[in-house]
Parts: sequence; structure tokens; C-alpha cells
Amino acid sequence: MSTRKRKAEEEAEINITPMLDVVFILLIFFIVTTSFVKESGVDLTRPSNEPPKDVEISEVVAIKIDATGSIFIGDRATDIRAVRANIESRLALKPDASVVVAAHRDADAGILVRVVDQARVAGAQAVSLAALAD
Amino acid sequence: MAKRHSEAEEETEINITPMLDIVFIMLIFFIVTTSFVKETGIDPTRPEAETASVRARSNILIGVTEQGDIWFNKNQIELTAVRQRVEEATAENPESSAVIIADEGAPTGVVIDIMDQIRLGGVIDIAVAAEPEGS
Repeated sequence: MSTRKRKAEEEAEINITPMLDVVFILLIFFIVTTSFVKESGVDLTRPSNEPPKDVEISEVVAIKIDATGSIFIGDRATDIRAVRANIESRLALKPDASVVVAAHRDADAGILVRVVDQARVAGAQAVSLAALAD
Repeated sequence: MAKRHSEAEEETEINITPMLDIVFIMLIFFIVTTSFVKETGIDPTRPEAETASVRARSNILIGVTEQGDIWFNKNQIELTAVRQRVEEATAENPESSAVIIADEGAPTGVVIDIMDQIRLGGVIDIAVAAEPEGS
């Protein structure tokens, strides 16, 4: 009995070769089409247009970039290399302050990214973005 | 002699089950990790940043040239079309995140407008492409 059953099992073995072919073709397709994106970037937040909730707005470190790409912290023109030190000293006075970068529409995006980067290096928790009307 | 040879062949048949296991695991890995990225079609000069981090799971890439032209999926598109493209991408993958690949000299206004459109399209996670310093 036992030997008979075993013999029937061997005969009815499923041929998996066609499945193997399909699986291999699928595998090759996915290997070829997969492209791992290697894009690095700086996170930016932009205040939404929703009405602000009742949040205690602690003080803000405002950085302005004008159309020519000059950077102003407060009212003082600042070089890009001095931005970090300036923000650090302001954050030391007001540790809860958030940093807002207001850029003119015609300013270069590269300067904006660099200012946001420097603000983040200086220890700002969240850097948000605003557009200057003119 | 011939009979003995064929008998030996049958006995030394290779067991392909472990290979099949590995092939299946690879197949599942590639199916899961594949996200069909639509390249922008342009290669702008990215600004350098110290805090730039690799964003591996970003599937919406929008390029901005120095002149302020917007590129998506190897086509130049209008600002008004950005929102629709983002909505299509979120329909495919609800956990989409976006990267704006802006040229160093691109106007900030265009970048901010694109950010607004992406947000309107339902994607909150937005970054601006930057190269790690010194690379």
C-alpha cells in the first residue's frame, strides 16, 4: 500500500519549469526597471494658507533676501558666511524662536537653499518660507 | 554502459528548490522596492548644503531651470499642470514625497509657487534638492 502510494505521487509531480521561466522573466524585468533614486535635499516647510490656530507665537528670527540676493537679518545686511553666527546669537537669546526666510521672487533659489541650510546648522528647529510681494 | 550512465544522471539530479526560494525572495524584493521614478529630464546645478540628507523614497521629482521653466517626466510643463501631476502621483502612491530640483540661479518665486501647488496636490513632504558639501 505504502509503496503504491509513493509511486503515484512520483508520477503526478507537477512540472515547475514553465513557472520558473515566468518567474525568471519577471525577476529580470524588475531588476532592469528598478532605479534607486539618489536625490539629496533640504526639507523646507511653507506655512499653509489656513488660518493660524491659537499658538503662542514666540519670537521670530526673520531673514530677508532681496531681489539682488542680498541677505538681511533684522535690518542689517549680512554676508552668507555670517548668517550662521547671526542666527546662533539670536537663538541663544530666544531659544524658542522660529526662523522665517522671506525671499524675493526674483532671488536665486541657490541663495535661499544656502540660507535655510545655514539656519539649520545654527540649530533652528523649523525653518519656514515666505514670499516677499516686492 | 549507456544504461548505467542514464541511471547515474537521474540520481544526481540537481535540487532546484533552494534556488527557487532565493529567486522568489529577490522577485518580491524588486516588486516591493520598485517605484517608477519619472526623471525630470534636466540636470541643473544644485546648490550645496551641509544639512542635505538623502531622500530615498521620493517619487515626485520636479525640475526648475535657471530661466524658471518647470520640467516633469522629461517634459516642460506649466505651473498650473503641477497640481494635477502631483495628484496623479499620490493616487498611485499615497505616501508620496516630492523633491524640487531647482537650479542655483532659478527664481525663488517659481520654487515657492511649485511648493504651493504640490501642497494643494496633497503632498506635505517637500524638499529642495541640494548636494552635500564637498561632493
